[in-house]
Amino acid sequence: MSTESNSRENKSLQHATRRHFFSQCGIGLGAISLAQLMTENNVRAFDDNTNDPMRPKPPHFVPRAKRVIFLFMAGGPSQLEMFDYKPKLQEYNGQPIPASFIEGKRFAFMDSSHRIDLLGGRQAFAQHGQCGAWVSDLLPYTSKIVDELTILKTCQTDLFNHAPAKLFMNTGTGQFGRPCMGSWITYGLGSESQDLPGFVVLQSGPRGPRGGAVNWSSGALPTTYQGVPLRNQGDPILNLSNPAGITDQQQRELVDRVSQLNLKRLVETGDQEIATRINAYEMAYRMQHSAPELMDTAAETAETLELYGIKDPKESSYARNCLLARRLVERGVRFIQLYHTNWDHHGGPTENLEKHLPEICREIDQASAALVLDLKQRGLLDDTLVIWGGEFGRTPMGEVRESTGRNHHIEAFTMWMAGAGLKAGLTFGETDEFGFGPVGEKAHVRDIHATILHLLGLDHQKLSIRFQGLDLRLTGVEPARVLHELM
Amino acid sequence: MARALNRNASPATNYMRLLLPRHSQPRQTLTFRQPSFATLIVTSLLLCSSFACADEIDFDRQIRPILAKHCLACHGFDAHSRQADLRLDTREGALHSGSGDAIVPHDTQASQLLQRIQSQDAAMLMPPPEFGKPLDEEQKRLLARWIEAGADYAQHWAFQPLMAASSESGAKSATSDLIDHWVADAHQRMGLEFSPPASPATLLRRLCLDLTGLPPTLQEQDQFLASYATDPHGAYAATVERLLASSHYGERWGRWWLDQARYADSNGYSVDAPRQIWLFRDWVVAALNRDQPFDQFTIEQIAGDLLPNASESQKIATGFHRNTPHNEEGGIDVEQFRIESVVDRVATTGTVWLGLTIGCAQCHDHKFDPISQAEFYRLFAFFNQQDEPKLKVHWTSNPDPVTSPTEPTAEVTTLVMQERTERRPTHLLIKGDFTRPAEAVEPGTPAVLPSLSARGAIPDRLDLARWLVAPENPLTARVIVNRVWQVYFGRGLVESDSDFGLQGMSPTHPELLDAVAARWVEQGWGLKQLHRWIVMSRTYQQSSHVSKRQVELDPTNLWLSRQQRLRLDAELVRDAALVASGQLTTTIGGPPVFPPIPAGAMSLGQVNRPWKVSTGPDRFRRSLYTFTYRAVPPPMLNVFDAPDGVQACTRRLRSNTPLQALTLMNDAGFFEMAQSLAMRIESEGLEAAFRRCTSRLPTAEELAILAGLSPLDAARVLLNLDETISRE
Repeated sequence: MSTESNSRENKSLQHATRRHFFSQCGIGLGAISLAQLMTENNVRAFDDNTNDPMRPKPPHFVPRAKRVIFLFMAGGPSQLEMFDYKPKLQEYNGQPIPASFIEGKRFAFMDSSHRIDLLGGRQAFAQHGQCGAWVSDLLPYTSKIVDELTILKTCQTDLFNHAPAKLFMNTGTGQFGRPCMGSWITYGLGSESQDLPGFVVLQSGPRGPRGGAVNWSSGALPTTYQGVPLRNQGDPILNLSNPAGITDQQQRELVDRVSQLNLKRLVETGDQEIATRINAYEMAYRMQHSAPELMDTAAETAETLELYGIKDPKESSYARNCLLARRLVERGVRFIQLYHTNWDHHGGPTENLEKHLPEICREIDQASAALVLDLKQRGLLDDTLVIWGGEFGRTPMGEVRESTGRNHHIEAFTMWMAGAGLKAGLTFGETDEFGFGPVGEKAHVRDIHATILHLLGLDHQKLSIRFQGLDLRLTGVEPARVLHELM
Repeated sequence: MARALNRNASPATNYMRLLLPRHSQPRQTLTFRQPSFATLIVTSLLLCSSFACADEIDFDRQIRPILAKHCLACHGFDAHSRQADLRLDTREGALHSGSGDAIVPHDTQASQLLQRIQSQDAAMLMPPPEFGKPLDEEQKRLLARWIEAGADYAQHWAFQPLMAASSESGAKSATSDLIDHWVADAHQRMGLEFSPPASPATLLRRLCLDLTGLPPTLQEQDQFLASYATDPHGAYAATVERLLASSHYGERWGRWWLDQARYADSNGYSVDAPRQIWLFRDWVVAALNRDQPFDQFTIEQIAGDLLPNASESQKIATGFHRNTPHNEEGGIDVEQFRIESVVDRVATTGTVWLGLTIGCAQCHDHKFDPISQAEFYRLFAFFNQQDEPKLKVHWTSNPDPVTSPTEPTAEVTTLVMQERTERRPTHLLIKGDFTRPAEAVEPGTPAVLPSLSARGAIPDRLDLARWLVAPENPLTARVIVNRVWQVYFGRGLVESDSDFGLQGMSPTHPELLDAVAARWVEQGWGLKQLHRWIVMSRTYQQSSHVSKRQVELDPTNLWLSRQQRLRLDAELVRDAALVASGQLTTTIGGPPVFPPIPAGAMSLGQVNRPWKVSTGPDRFRRSLYTFTYRAVPPPMLNVFDAPDGVQACTRRLRSNTPLQALTLMNDAGFFEMAQSLAMRIESEGLEAAFRRCTSRLPTAEELAILAGLSPLDAARVLLNLDETISRE
């Protein structure tokens, strides 16, 4: 069939379409139903969203959770000062760790500051809640919600430098170019939000997370699925505001005229990508209004702000990001990742266990607990998975630089989860007397990934794409176990 | 080599023949026929829902994919994960390994493989149910028929030598005609035909964007349309030559190569400090512009430093493998990350030149392709012998000493490779772990490919480089031709452009790929020649408009019955807008520049890097020159799928997202362009502005839609059109 006759065929459609289009353009294309007209001419209707890569997609099986909030404690929090109570470590403070523990193991800073002397935990621990979980006095608010938490004490990872380990926690590999968890999940499930990105990243702390954009990269998946950083200053999303001097009316007019011309081109060429483009402009326009509304945390009640410990709702902080996470959840966003820096307490002048660890704990403790409580009181905790943790933990051996600290540790560290129908109050896994490695069950990053996907109704073996000769999966090729004990 | 249509055979049988390999077809003289159509209709094709209609079984297309997907993970090349000591990747293995009776040719009863795949007992069934990849009935029937017919194996197509256009008339045909012949050949069997040629305006825009990455100016449009009216072919051919001779050609195709070279201007990982390696970028652009043959282009990048009396330029070329990310984080083991760089170099070489996933063999034998872990480390040994120095270069912004002998020079450095004086021993690393070295290995290439000839006792990088582009290497030419083709049609003839291995896809037009690749090598590896062949073909010049019939018969344009409408690559989205708004600075080469980026864009990495926005002409340079931090890629380029340079990117994705819309509508750089275009609207009128953006005249209806807008609003609409960021 020639292009010419194709054009002829399209002509009547074009007239009908234009008529319809013009009558509707004030309220946007989403409302137009052109299904009949379009399918007659191989042009898909706009309300047929099969072209939309972010349309909600059914999971593999009935899910326990619909969405995820990952509170990423960038730098590697010291589990031994927070969750993993080891009196024995105190007792052997200053003595070398038995060689059997560290034989054949590798650590960061091996050449210089690595020490083999044990460092006793310096915090007071107590048991809390019905479950009797041990939590240190650095986390008074978290202590109060332990009955809502599922604490994993034997998390393990493979890599012990920050950037590769972060990549590992996010993508399941230390290699670049692989999709991160948020990308996999929005790829698998789409998004329920019509006017916000499906995967959002929020940052707080003195610096961005190491590795930057690779942490929320969609890797081999289309960039549609990459994390969109929401910023606390200026435009929450890059290029969200109209250019200076452009009114909302002008912007609406822009979107309408662009879409009208695009529609003509769609009819002329038959290229479905143009339909996707028209929808993208509609969503971009909606985002311009919904994102500022989202960021308007001042609209929250005084009780809520107090719950999170937010004094100034306009000021950027981890606490405000936790509140934003709840607001994003309410708006149907699928995967929300908060990064808070800096947990890298080696013992340097700005990163020691005496002063800086307590400080950063104060920054996150109340708001993390508040998020869980707030989700619960709004009925959102049941189908939201909240995850707290870093890329690795810290060694039982001390590091003495200007003051005390600990080195990176990958054999056992603590994360917690909440919501998603998990067994609340459960502590999973146990470490040895020095907190060096697991005794019994462990939760490798791959197991954690498999478990997260499972909670969302996704089979980690099935969620895969073909890339450079591999069936890429979040959990990779090594065995990964869904931790059914948590459920 | 032609697979002529058997006029007496049923349409279904002819369809099957299309899917059969060349080897099982009678070789006939290549003749050019007018495709006869209407003999085939899709419904009759669908009646034959499987390959079972054909008499012959084609191992490469019908059996190997089944084995690769369902069997070889446990019964393949990788000895370590092999179960029951049975391998099915070779005929020898299938007949004699394991219990020795997995496959008994011509005997379906005695063949254990068939018993196991048909077993009702879950404990006996293969593949095991927990493997999650069960065979369907059709696949089982195929395997049975294959065994019944004798269970012949064939060498994987990509490892076979290139088939030259051997027949007399084929050998004499122009390569563009050869392309069209094989495309028409497929059309005929599919009941398809060529679309009519695209309009002259579309052709010009397509050529300009494909060859130089810049849309035609108004003057170029006028000139072309005028000469096309009197002599279409002459006008078209002259334009092709003009564009190939343009120094913007090197910029456009340089970016294609820099993607594969994982080029960026910073070190990556966490600290992501800036690095200086843009001289390599300029080397690529210049090499393409002077049409350096691809074999030389390869040799200089892999081993330019080892060439006799290596020139400065040849040393700069070795920057190719200095584009690996570099971790400057505290507390790292330097040796660990040196090894990671070497691994990346091996994997990148495999991906870029050989189209093989060699990197898979870092930790274990390749599961599917015949590449052992030891062979991975033999390749590793080539790249384990280098120091990684900086080379001091006296740089001048005008490289031509004749035209500007007094141009001042600046001393700049660039990252290069240099062979060590003392050899580093190379060991196989158990599970790829550098703390677990096993047996020592010497440099060498995979046994499945033609052998390497070394100049000395121990082969070095230069030998490797020459081996990559040796005429008998069956992969490099196919891979590169395919990757060039992919740019022109949005998809390669082999869709899995970086996996020509057993798990990759078969070519849709195998004879076409081989004919062009063989010619290309024969005629001296000239990239411009390759581009010329493609763009001069009728296949390339078709309209990209999709008809309803094409959607039904060929929804994804596998059979090329039309051109493909493609959204422009990230850099070109901006470059095209710079041309449309009349702002582009056309200077070639030099240090990276800093066009406007959204406020706060740089705060997303660990280190908040400064971004001092370029003023003056540098603000409007082509996006190829935009400084790229790996950890914080330029937002505009990033949202349009530009690679971040952390690993080789051989094929860009094309996403279509709201963030792209926000960028085009609101980004400061784009708004500046809209303001500039608005001034053009005031001086030249709306129609000219429309042409600046889309390279064609608007219709009256289109102009009506733009009516009543202020020049600025109209300019913004034009720069946001899907057509403005597309090539049709």
